[in-house]
Amino acid sequence: MSLLDRLYRRVPALVMARRNLSRNRLRSALAALGIIIGVLAIASLGMFGTTLRTGASEQLGDIGNEISITPNPEAGFDRLTDRDVADIRRVTDEGVVVPVRQRSGTLTRGKDRRITTVYGIENPGALYEATDGRVPDRLRQGALVGATLAEQLDIEPGNRITLDNQSFRVVGVLEEENGISLLSPNSAVVVPMESFDERGYSQVVVKSPTGTAANETAMAVREELNDREEKVSVFELGSITEGINQFFGILNAFLVGIGSISLVVAGVSILNVMLMSTIERRQEIGVLRAVGVQKLDVVRMILAEAGLLGLVGGFFGAVLAVLAGLVLNQVVISDPWLTFAPANLLYIGLAVVFGIVTSVLSGLYPAWKAATERPVEALRK
Amino acid sequence: MPIIELEGVWKRYESGTETVEALKDVNFAAEPGEFVAIMGPSGSGKSTMLNVLGLLDVPSEGVVRLDGRDVTDLTDEEMTTQRKRAIGFVFQNFFLIPTLSATENVEVPTLFGTDPTARERATRLLERVGLGDRLDHRPDQLSGGQKQRVAIARALVNEPRIVLADEPTGNLDRKTGRDVLELFTELKTEEDVAVIAVTHDDQLRQYADRVVNLVDGVLTEEGAEADAGTEPETTEEFGT
Repeated sequence: MSLLDRLYRRVPALVMARRNLSRNRLRSALAALGIIIGVLAIASLGMFGTTLRTGASEQLGDIGNEISITPNPEAGFDRLTDRDVADIRRVTDEGVVVPVRQRSGTLTRGKDRRITTVYGIENPGALYEATDGRVPDRLRQGALVGATLAEQLDIEPGNRITLDNQSFRVVGVLEEENGISLLSPNSAVVVPMESFDERGYSQVVVKSPTGTAANETAMAVREELNDREEKVSVFELGSITEGINQFFGILNAFLVGIGSISLVVAGVSILNVMLMSTIERRQEIGVLRAVGVQKLDVVRMILAEAGLLGLVGGFFGAVLAVLAGLVLNQVVISDPWLTFAPANLLYIGLAVVFGIVTSVLSGLYPAWKAATERPVEALRK
Repeated sequence: MPIIELEGVWKRYESGTETVEALKDVNFAAEPGEFVAIMGPSGSGKSTMLNVLGLLDVPSEGVVRLDGRDVTDLTDEEMTTQRKRAIGFVFQNFFLIPTLSATENVEVPTLFGTDPTARERATRLLERVGLGDRLDHRPDQLSGGQKQRVAIARALVNEPRIVLADEPTGNLDRKTGRDVLELFTELKTEEDVAVIAVTHDDQLRQYADRVVNLVDGVLTEEGAEADAGTEPETTEEFGT
């Protein structure tokens, strides 16, 4: 006796169910197709959401790794002092601390004049890269020009520019930043810290290797500097990424919700198919009841049919969803293996479970209807 | 002792405003090893009586006893269990399940149980009814007579005490019908069952031990008149 035979012996409802489904193959196949589409819709829309989220995080880059510390003017603090910066350095476990001075200045190049943001940064290499020229680790002389500004004024490394009444040689043009950034360099000029007359800093940026580290640093800084009074405010881009993640969570739920509608439709089609097939088999079910098959066994048999439809539909739906995921991830983010990310496997699993549950639920009414019909009525000629 | 007994059974149906009395004070009993024919024209209440005997329907009044036990007021589940245990059914339209093989059809009444000998018994019964070479055939590969034989094997698979046959020869030609009736007379003693057949086929008189007439819901005993020695051919002129 084969394993399948033994299983059928154990669960006679299964053998009846399988035979009944094979009776009208086309109809069963179409009912299963509904489930396939439903499962495919849920799983692939879920995976699409994951792909979008991954793509977006790639776009956003590592802004979640940066925090910005600014003085709190409401409490009477206009500047961060050297001592504050030292404190920040002390509590930062991982990451680079970049103190920043900031003002507006008039940039003159030849006949062009322009008001620009001027950053005084000692170690711009921690934040920026250059497309042209270089970004020195320690900026002691010369200036770095943002990409937009460089293009507008046609500035290249080696040119001289005048800021207010100071003259600088341009050492590099900064790479354009597309994502969100704490210190957007595109229309700004970065000059050595010493060229500022003032003392103190307008903000301090800490760049950490990971988002978690950034978060830890933010907490440590708050604890250290805002111990007695609200001396500084700490801005975490992590909170923005969190918001973005939340948004994608909602988007995913929405997409999966849309997918679920198709599964509901599939459920209705299974309900219809099961109802028709039980009405067709009315006499047969009457005979079963007459020869001593209990109501519950009839219910089980019909639920097994519906469940089998769901199982088959769910299986093929899952297979198709994986294929769709591979293609989608290859095309959108060139990483097909993202299909097997835990979140996606969860979506596929959920979709299959939903498919089976929908099928079984749709089988309930026909099963109950068939089982409660009096055999006398069913057998009447 | 009778295996099945009806005592003062009435069956009434509400039909619109009037009440139809399908069975009127019916008293009936059958013993194992006995072949009883219930004869009567259509609409006489035959099917209703068979349904009551088969625990498929409950009487409006009166008592049904199975094996000496009052089974009139059992729940649906208990009745189903009793049917499975003690009663086999043979229908005019055979009612075999088209997707199942002959053996599987015979096994149907045992299907939702855990009896490991069911397959063996089904095979033995099919061999007994002369279908040993048709075990794996589907109903659509069998002739009418063969289908009815499968149905008879199915009726016997749970080793019942009663086999109820509703027009067992109704869909068969006369020759095949006789074969089936022959089979009933053989099996009633072999399997020690009471065979109760409702019919309006006069052919049954030759094979039944006892004939009762049911006219307009009233049952009257006709007295045994079937003689095993009678040549079946002499009944050929009775039309259906």
